Amino acid sequence: MSVQTPGKISFKTIAPFLNIGGNNTSRFFSYAGLGIGVMLLLCSVQMYININQLLKDKNPRKNGYDFISVTKTVTNQNMGSDNRFTLADINELKAQPFIEDAAPLNANQFRAKASAGNIIPFSTDLFLESVKNDFIDTVPASFSWKPGQADVPIIFSADFLEMYNVFAPAQDLPQLSESSIGAINIMLECYSPTGIQTFRGHIVAVSDRINSVLVPESFLLWANKMYGNADYVPAARVYVKTVDANNTSLLNFLQQKNYHVNKDKTKFGRVKQVLQTVVSGLGGFAILVILLAMMLFSFYLQLMIARSKDNLQLLLTLGYSPSWFSKTVAKKWIPAYTMIILAALVAASLLQFAFQHVSLNGKDELPSFLHSSVFLLAGVLWLLCIAVNYRLIKKLLYRL
Amino acid sequence: MTIQLNKVIPDFLEKEKVDRSKIWNHSIAIHKGERVQIIAPSGSGKTSLVHFLYGLRHDYKGQILINEKNIHGWNAEAFAGIRSNSLSIIFQDLRLFPDHTVLENIQVKKSLHPFDQATSIEEMAGRLGIANKLGKLARTCSYGEQQRIAIIRSLQQPFDFLLMDEPFSHLDENNRGIAMQLIEEEATKRKAGIILADLKRITQFNAGKLMEL
Repeated sequence: MSVQTPGKISFKTIAPFLNIGGNNTSRFFSYAGLGIGVMLLLCSVQMYININQLLKDKNPRKNGYDFISVTKTVTNQNMGSDNRFTLADINELKAQPFIEDAAPLNANQFRAKASAGNIIPFSTDLFLESVKNDFIDTVPASFSWKPGQADVPIIFSADFLEMYNVFAPAQDLPQLSESSIGAINIMLECYSPTGIQTFRGHIVAVSDRINSVLVPESFLLWANKMYGNADYVPAARVYVKTVDANNTSLLNFLQQKNYHVNKDKTKFGRVKQVLQTVVSGLGGFAILVILLAMMLFSFYLQLMIARSKDNLQLLLTLGYSPSWFSKTVAKKWIPAYTMIILAALVAASLLQFAFQHVSLNGKDELPSFLHSSVFLLAGVLWLLCIAVNYRLIKKLLYRL
Repeated sequence: MTIQLNKVIPDFLEKEKVDRSKIWNHSIAIHKGERVQIIAPSGSGKTSLVHFLYGLRHDYKGQILINEKNIHGWNAEAFAGIRSNSLSIIFQDLRLFPDHTVLENIQVKKSLHPFDQATSIEEMAGRLGIANKLGKLARTCSYGEQQRIAIIRSLQQPFDFLLMDEPFSHLDENNRGIAMQLIEEEATKRKAGIILADLKRITQFNAGKLMEL
């Protein structure tokens, strides 16, 4: 009498009884469809991320925010009326979820004149503006003023300095650098109905962000009251602080309100919008391809189980567990799904690498490799495929 | 293990046959280790009874309890468990895989449960005279050979009860005796019960209880 080795149950045991072979064409088409669909979806997600990365505002940002100047659009219809921002307008801006803060640029309500003495024979009437310090890109500690102070610090626009340096030689005026402009003594004359008061102005910083001649808010509010007899004056310009100047919701809101923004900050906005729409459409198409591939594979499974129906029923009658069957048969396709997802990931990685090196000449504006969210998406798709496959097989087997 | 029938009446059976029966509409208990022969003329529901006990059909009134649990509400998983561990069967219609070899037909049952079988398939096949058929497709064997395959297959698992539905219809007296001896040995090793349903008394079966259906 010989002692038999106890039987070990595995897929190999039942494989001869299942009609798995045949209809390989539909199986491979479904694999190919799934691979292409997954690759398209991964690529569209990566391209969405690339677009956001490439079309972010490159101008100097303060603490991760963008600052854009907003005015009300003046048209033929409204040019006779007051197109300044009321408090309600400013509060409405602040209330938007895509706007962190908004601050008005207060302008002088009196005549102001600046001259630079004998060294630079230059004098002009000028406008003065002030805004919350948080909105200015460079604010030195000296940029403050108290009533009684004869010195008024000024932050000068870098664009204005550039303009001056362009016309200065033609006017026999010396060109000035950013560091030397601070040494100039500026006579700042403030005109009021009762007379002229002169302050000593010094340029303490040059701003890349704000195209204006800025004085401390405390000075301008005091001077408007003193010389312009104005307590509160609506602002013609408002600065808006936002996370992304190219945010499509922001642009849509500003457009809807008929507000004008400085174009160089938002020039990529519409382009980004269009590209994101195209990429989203591609992503939607990819999902459709994946669904079709899964449907084709389910037809293959249904056909396989239908062909093996008699044998499957007998195996279940003999005592094979439907639950074990479902898990064992479903597991057979895990390697195929794994290979498909991995192949799609490799293809998407190669495309990203090629895009970065060929289109961007290897510049580090974009990483060469896929974003982590793309890998996460691939993992989620893999799990979904396995889960859907298992549920379908279980449903078909329990129907027998 | 105990099998109980509490006033079981098949939905399809005529009232007269139910009234005549000593099993239908009666309360019966069969315990592990017992030898029960059920003698049933054709059309009395013999195969139906075996199928009811095995959980293949549920078209009856009354209750069938296995270890005091009503099998009527059991799902496919529960029946799979009991069929692989506690209940073995020889079908009247055999139910082999015709396009697979004799050995494959037997091994597919053996693989189901890690059961240490002292007597090998080859030994059993030798005793029943089909050792030379192990490599042949089941459909090429005669009906009597197929019955012997079904018998060997039913002995490839642990069981508390072996259900047999006309298992020897195509065996001569000699082979019947050999087969019954093999079945008796395997059942005794397992301390299992045997329920044999047939048209007439099987003299080779040493039944402790005789019932008429």
